[in-house]
Amino acid sequence: MANHTPTPPAWADRLLAWLCPPHLLEELLGDLHEQFAEQVTDLGEQKARQLYVVEIVKFIRPYFLKRRVGHFAQPMSIPVSQGAHRFKTNEFPQPFFLHPDMLRNYAKIAFRTLWRSKGYATINVVGLAVAFCISLFLFLIAYLQLTFDSFHEDGDRIFQTYFFSNDPEQASRSAGMPLPLMPALKTDYPEIEAAARFIVVRKSLVEYKGRYFDKSVYLTDPDFFKLFSFPLRKGNPESALRDLSNVVISENMAQTLFGIEDPMGKPVELGSDGNRKQYIVSGVLADAPYNSTIHYDALIRVENLPDYQSAKDSWGASSHQVFVKLPPNIDQTTFESRLKAFAVKYFHGSLDDLKKKGAKPDERGDVFAVRLQKLADVHFGRELSGGKGAPIALIYVLMGIAFFILLIACINFINLSVARSFTRAKEVGIRKSLGALKKQLFVQIWGESTVICLIGFGVGLLLSYLLLPVFNATFDSKLTLDYVAQPGFIGLMLLVFALITFVAGGYPAWQMAKFNPVEVLKGKISLKRPGILRNSLIVTQFTLSCLLTCCTIIALQQIDFLRQQPLGFQKEQVISIPVGSQVNGRQVLQRLRNKLASDPTVLAITGSGVNLGKGKDRVTARGVLGITYKGKDIATDWLLVDYDYLKTLNIKLLAGRDFDRAYPTDSVNRVVITESMARMMGEANAVGTLLRDDHDTSGVKSQIIGIISDFHLYSLADENKPITMHLSHNEAIHYVFVRVAPQNLANSMDKLKNVWKEVAPQSEFMGSFLDENVDAWYQDEEMLSRVFSLAASIAILLSCIGLFAIALMVIEQRTKEIGIRKVLGASTPTIILVLSKDFIKLVIIALGIAIPLAWYGMHTWLKGYPFRIEISAWVFVVVALAAILITFATVSFHSIKAALMNPVKSLRSE
Amino acid sequence: MGRAYLGEFEELVLLAVAVLQGDAYGVVIAAELKQRTNRISSLSGVHIALYRLEEKGFVSSELGGATMNRGGHRKRLFTVTATGRQTLNEMRIVHNDLWDSIPTPSLA
Repeated sequence: MANHTPTPPAWADRLLAWLCPPHLLEELLGDLHEQFAEQVTDLGEQKARQLYVVEIVKFIRPYFLKRRVGHFAQPMSIPVSQGAHRFKTNEFPQPFFLHPDMLRNYAKIAFRTLWRSKGYATINVVGLAVAFCISLFLFLIAYLQLTFDSFHEDGDRIFQTYFFSNDPEQASRSAGMPLPLMPALKTDYPEIEAAARFIVVRKSLVEYKGRYFDKSVYLTDPDFFKLFSFPLRKGNPESALRDLSNVVISENMAQTLFGIEDPMGKPVELGSDGNRKQYIVSGVLADAPYNSTIHYDALIRVENLPDYQSAKDSWGASSHQVFVKLPPNIDQTTFESRLKAFAVKYFHGSLDDLKKKGAKPDERGDVFAVRLQKLADVHFGRELSGGKGAPIALIYVLMGIAFFILLIACINFINLSVARSFTRAKEVGIRKSLGALKKQLFVQIWGESTVICLIGFGVGLLLSYLLLPVFNATFDSKLTLDYVAQPGFIGLMLLVFALITFVAGGYPAWQMAKFNPVEVLKGKISLKRPGILRNSLIVTQFTLSCLLTCCTIIALQQIDFLRQQPLGFQKEQVISIPVGSQVNGRQVLQRLRNKLASDPTVLAITGSGVNLGKGKDRVTARGVLGITYKGKDIATDWLLVDYDYLKTLNIKLLAGRDFDRAYPTDSVNRVVITESMARMMGEANAVGTLLRDDHDTSGVKSQIIGIISDFHLYSLADENKPITMHLSHNEAIHYVFVRVAPQNLANSMDKLKNVWKEVAPQSEFMGSFLDENVDAWYQDEEMLSRVFSLAASIAILLSCIGLFAIALMVIEQRTKEIGIRKVLGASTPTIILVLSKDFIKLVIIALGIAIPLAWYGMHTWLKGYPFRIEISAWVFVVVALAAILITFATVSFHSIKAALMNPVKSLRSE
Repeated sequence: MGRAYLGEFEELVLLAVAVLQGDAYGVVIAAELKQRTNRISSLSGVHIALYRLEEKGFVSSELGGATMNRGGHRKRLFTVTATGRQTLNEMRIVHNDLWDSIPTPSLA
């Protein structure tokens, strides 16, 4: 009790400071405190505190408030006429610390300080600019992906329908709908605001005045315009698709077909060979933005589907997507529960089948159900789109990397500021002893950081503007800075910027403002104080860099592994040509065979329904046949080929024979299967057996004539299915493969191009070598690994810049120590070791954290691949050695300089 | 009248400043007033009066020393100026005149 001096409540003082004109504050506070001290003796502490607060509340009077407000309005004006003499005293008015004049002063001082310490400022600006630039790109990619389809009005009310069936083997979802579903939905549920079918077809031929184009023509319903908010530039949304012969085209297509002509009412011919029809342009629709799932060139009515009449009442076939728009007062769950009755009414067949197989209702009580998927999720729904959707995890990884890089830049910033604060401690001490307030110092130092951040941000933006074309080219992306101007993105950037300035600038400023001037001026602030913070930040930095490096190397190894895998066919020397929709593939193939029959450089020619790898047309298709064979469920790729397929691709025949023109029945009901297919069928000698479905009693059964070794029809990232190959007279051949002689491949390609002009004049030649196509399979992984590599190198670069600068400062502060060590006989290597040791220790700790994390992360990632590498330990060893070596190199750059310095120089100043 | 107006409370404060003779600052003045008039005056009130008096030129002020029980804050010491003194004198004469003019029939 004896030591306890009662003090008035501090918050009340702050209240007064806020209420009272600043130049009167000191005397008033003094009086109040004096009175308080008296009242404590007279009335006791508690009562005194109460009275103190009452007293302060009484200061809320017009007299004080008016003067306070006046003080802001006219900062420095003091009534000269009457009150002037009271400032004859040696007291200066204390301005409010965020006074505009002071702010100007802070800015001026900030620029001068930065100008003086150019090296420090440059390192920070460069670091921040690079980090901003890269993370801007990454955020932009992520933002574009995450805002997919978000431009539709009422997007939260638009849904895609899908089937859910709780199959006992595996619950499955599918977005392929039968044609009669949408009309039935609309009849049974009149509350649905709009519903449209959406059939995504292959590129389709468009003819206008004898010119041919390949365009994406989509089949849909008139409700399309009520459903989505793609603006109709010309035409009336009510009537644009009223007629079956109406076609609505995109602005882009209008430009290519008609140029400056008005397209409205003009006839165009659409459709693939033998199935062409004339349509009348009835509307021009704005081009779909980049972040739209739906990309169209032209829209026509669903009823134009070639086999619409026969399929329109068939509930079994599933061919297209259906989108519905619910009214605002019905939510998804409510409507899904209403759809239960719908499933029972139209799908009792499927229901019975499932029940027979022993399917149990899921947690929502459904065995088979029609459900809804939000439009916003469609882009990410890999399951419903057949694996085509964007992997949302990848987007989070990108955002995480962007965040990591920003974090590393921030850590540099904090570390450098804290390290520099010791060289600036004297300045702070002197400012304080001259009467600067803590908050003034805070604002001043924080202002300097903000200036650096602002410059860094500006340079970063400039950098991204300049580098955008390079980035787009390298990563095959279509980013534009237009998206940067969107409010959501601006908000995100502002948030990031605010966070960086507050955290990275605020913390060191706060630390410095706290310095005790007496200790600083006595030289008592030691170097060791920020050790833990600085060290943990360096550890974090290096953990992130090493993590990214390990992941990059492993990802690259995996991609390389996928590429190196034997595919079961020989991809070299084979040119693949997409036939296109303008010509008949079968005819082109025949003409090509005739033309090249005598050419010695052409070794073999064949055709197929499916490309190998990703060709220049970027189309992938897959036909899978599911059959029940002797009680076993078998899923096999159902592949259309032509004669010489095995010869062209060098696929090994294991038993039986290849398709042969000598056997006329080969093109009707003969199949060649792969080893794994034979294994699945459980036939020891499959050649000669009939491939049949247990349930299918009618139809022609295919006889197996040959067994070939397994080959990869699709990317190794996808699961491999057994393959059954068949010939056909009438199924369309979409790709032609030509095996050429190994000498002068480029020449062969040119020759083929010329021949192509003769055999298929309407179709653009899009030939490419199969090995390129196969590489294109892995473009997602490729892109991922490129992003990883870029991020990892930037992370390492930034970490090293930070380390470099910190080492410089630490060594500067330890010059005397080094001098003394030298005088006492330490050798140059010893000194370098002493100086580098601390940093290397930190990097080793970082490695200890990063390696297990990297191992776990990549182990999880690799699990997604049916064919994958084992993570080998040498990756980590190499990364660890490299990290230590880089650290040592960075630090020793300064250490060597310091160690070689003449100790007389460093010690003389004292 | 040509001279500045002086309110009742202001007059009391001005008198207190005069009484305290160069040692006059907020708390002391408030204490003096409380002791002599037996009315509790808030510090804010006293200060407003003092500042008004200063603006009218009746008192002048300078910053004095800080003490521990003031939390290290300095005090502002007020002294009566010549104008102030003159005004007080005039006030006193007016008061006295008025008093003297009261008819006193019951004066013993």
